[in-house]
Amino acid sequence: MKNVLNINYERFKLKNNLDVVLYKDESLPIVAVNLWYKVGSANEKPGKTGLAHLFEHMMFQGSEHVPKEMHFRYIQEAGGTLNGSTSIDRTNYYESVPKTALEMVLWLESDRMGFFLPALTQEKLDNQKGVVANERRQNYENQPYGLAWEKLFAALYPPEYPYYWPTIGWMQDIQSYTLEDVRNFFETFYSPQNASLVIGGNFDPAEAKELVESYFAEIPNNAKVPALNVPFPVLNETKKIIHEDNVQLPRIYLAWISDKLYGPDDAALDILSDILTGTKSSRIYKSLLFDKQIAQDVNSFQYSARLNGSFIISSTPKPGIELHTIREEIFKQIQGVVENGVTEEELKRSVNSFKSSYIYSLQNLNNLVDQINNYTCHLDEPNSFLYDIGRYEAVTTEDVVNAAEKYLNTNFVELNIVPKK
Amino acid sequence: MIIDRTKRPEEKGQIKFKLPEIQRFELKNGLKVIFVEKNNLPIVQMLLYVNDGSKSDPKGKKGLAFLTSLLMDEGAGNLDALQLDDEIESLGSILRCSSNQDYSTISMLTLTENFVRSLELFSMVVSSPLFSEKDFIREKKKQLTKIIQLQDDPEFIANTAFRKILFKETPYESPVMGYRPEVENINLDDVKNFYDKIYTVKNSTLIVVGNITQSELEKRLNNILGNWNNQNEYKTGLPDFQKPQKRFYFVHKEGSAQSELRIGTTSGVRNAPDFYAKTLMNSILGGQFSSRINLNLREDKGFTYGAHSSFSYNRKGSSFVVSTGVESAHTAESVTEIFKEFEGIKKFIKPEELDFSKSYLIKRYPSMFETYTQIAGNLSLLPQFDLPDNYFNTYIEKLERVTLDEVLESARKTLNENNMVTVIVGDEQIIDSQFNESAGEIIKLSSGDVLSEKVI
Repeated sequence: MKNVLNINYERFKLKNNLDVVLYKDESLPIVAVNLWYKVGSANEKPGKTGLAHLFEHMMFQGSEHVPKEMHFRYIQEAGGTLNGSTSIDRTNYYESVPKTALEMVLWLESDRMGFFLPALTQEKLDNQKGVVANERRQNYENQPYGLAWEKLFAALYPPEYPYYWPTIGWMQDIQSYTLEDVRNFFETFYSPQNASLVIGGNFDPAEAKELVESYFAEIPNNAKVPALNVPFPVLNETKKIIHEDNVQLPRIYLAWISDKLYGPDDAALDILSDILTGTKSSRIYKSLLFDKQIAQDVNSFQYSARLNGSFIISSTPKPGIELHTIREEIFKQIQGVVENGVTEEELKRSVNSFKSSYIYSLQNLNNLVDQINNYTCHLDEPNSFLYDIGRYEAVTTEDVVNAAEKYLNTNFVELNIVPKK
Repeated sequence: MIIDRTKRPEEKGQIKFKLPEIQRFELKNGLKVIFVEKNNLPIVQMLLYVNDGSKSDPKGKKGLAFLTSLLMDEGAGNLDALQLDDEIESLGSILRCSSNQDYSTISMLTLTENFVRSLELFSMVVSSPLFSEKDFIREKKKQLTKIIQLQDDPEFIANTAFRKILFKETPYESPVMGYRPEVENINLDDVKNFYDKIYTVKNSTLIVVGNITQSELEKRLNNILGNWNNQNEYKTGLPDFQKPQKRFYFVHKEGSAQSELRIGTTSGVRNAPDFYAKTLMNSILGGQFSSRINLNLREDKGFTYGAHSSFSYNRKGSSFVVSTGVESAHTAESVTEIFKEFEGIKKFIKPEELDFSKSYLIKRYPSMFETYTQIAGNLSLLPQFDLPDNYFNTYIEKLERVTLDEVLESARKTLNENNMVTVIVGDEQIIDSQFNESAGEIIKLSSGDVLSEKVI
């Protein structure tokens, strides 16, 4: 099992500092191209939130040599799939195509990295502002509990902190973007030195290297990308927020500030989350859903990101059960972990399911190359699967208890989503 | 290397792609097995395809198939619900049980090193689920609460209303989740009887994709799953679908941030010869990002985050539907545009559009066989629609042979305006301001009408 996780790769930098990783896997005649730009909503300014995501949309609107609508069309016609996504820390673009179409994908990606601005128009921007406003309506405003996360983060952090606002952006900000905003954003962040390109799958490495050189090396770097230097956030008091929504049942959310991605306690917090709510006999799940049967669901996450993480627990009570009853039980179970510890069996079960989920994740080439890019950007080492699993294998029962005590025995945000009266 | 950015680079070389080789065999109890050996990762995926689901829910007990599937993994053999879950988690395996209108499935994904024990647990779930009273009460409550929660979900309300109207008076009209008063009526014996009737050897096909040899697999399966011995047989008769009449329904949902639209009608069966022409027609009309409807409503007008169309097939036929969520202020305009696209594609399709869709569907075919789970899912189409084993081998050729006239013909056959049902879920304030009398009669429904056993 170890050897499938120990990947061979080749890594090099172009003279403009574009980071390139090649990973060969010939099991299917498919090649995947995955490009990360190290910019996400955390790099935005208040008043222009959501710009990183809107920008991602604009990247599909054509570039100097690629007319509008043709970026999608060319890749689809070649039998490929494509998309992009924006998170708080990064923006990624990815394509998976039959191996015959590798050059075309590199042509498309390099065109929008180097020749985006000449094709930018007001009409395209207005169109995509409309699309994104509708994305916000569809995926957040029109979803039950859809605004919970943005309410939570806006309470967890001070307004100037980069994780305060949602990736999709506030609606009034989405409507305010100008061509100049988009232009400035491109010039500041979309630069070879701020990107990392991974090519994975079925291709000839020598040929791929030459293609990457030919298409990307001439793209100049812009001015220096501004660094994001903020102190680790502190929540000075416990807060409670109540938000009315079009829902039948209330839901409680609890959020704490926690360790960052790949930080020393990150894996222990993942395991803590699993031990609290990940399986039927996990502590909170068993108590709320099996023994007392007072909740419909319970979930928790160690949502870790580059600057810091947050640990979140949410639960929907059964009809007629009060939120405070659920809340008390959740805290009782957390205290149980802190005071009485967790068992070796709980730990082992959790580590095993993390380990096998890594193997399962290798099935899909797009996922695999995206993970390689994650390791490249965060750890500076593409071959980090074994390191990553090792983080979980190294966690002890004491680590889990310490993580619970350190992060969950402090100030937190409680959000109650309640039915509109 | 000199490059010319003004020209799209040519595709280079040839694709050599071998479809997975399908093996079939039977266990000593008669269970049919479809197997594909795949060795690039140390994984085995098992999928038991059980050929029935909520369409066989008894009258007055809609939701029974769903409740049965909720209970399937709540303990089996000598393990109670928690012990079973604990052991599966310790192995790092993943067990899923689900049910839809036509079929039910039990699937397990496991590492090769844990295959034997995972198969034993899988087998226990299949052949000796516990069905204890205490688990039954808990899972039933969960389902009843879930039905309450679904009132919040505009997409669910739209889909449910659309199917209820389209498949009126057939077993496909009710949601898999069932209706609250009917779920209340279900007792544990109903679950046991449903399981005995549906989850039988004769009614099932086991699909295995994975890192194991056929001889090893046959031996293990015979020793473990070969003892499952429910040999019950039954047949269900299904009424034919009627073509719906053109109707326009509006479901009010207060405070809607968008309008959810469903526009469509019924269509023919999956294993008919026009399947390929319909697939291409749908691809051009709304089946992928660069389709006419999405380019119109999203990339031109900016009314929506996305709009798409699809055929979804069941044992007796299919439905064709355009689905989208649009800005409330542009609801009526969006409906008009969708009907315009129906008329447009019946009149004219450019040869380039057909070439594009053929290329898109044919060239992406190898990527449909990427993951173990994907392959197992594809193989389950064979028992689901009685397709021949060479279905996958002939797919590309059959798509290639479709002519422009055949695609036009399928558009004309499917997209008859007189048979189109329109469902809108949104805020009713928009009706008066956007829909005048020329829109015809608008039938107003409440989400309670849609989500209850009430006939609409």
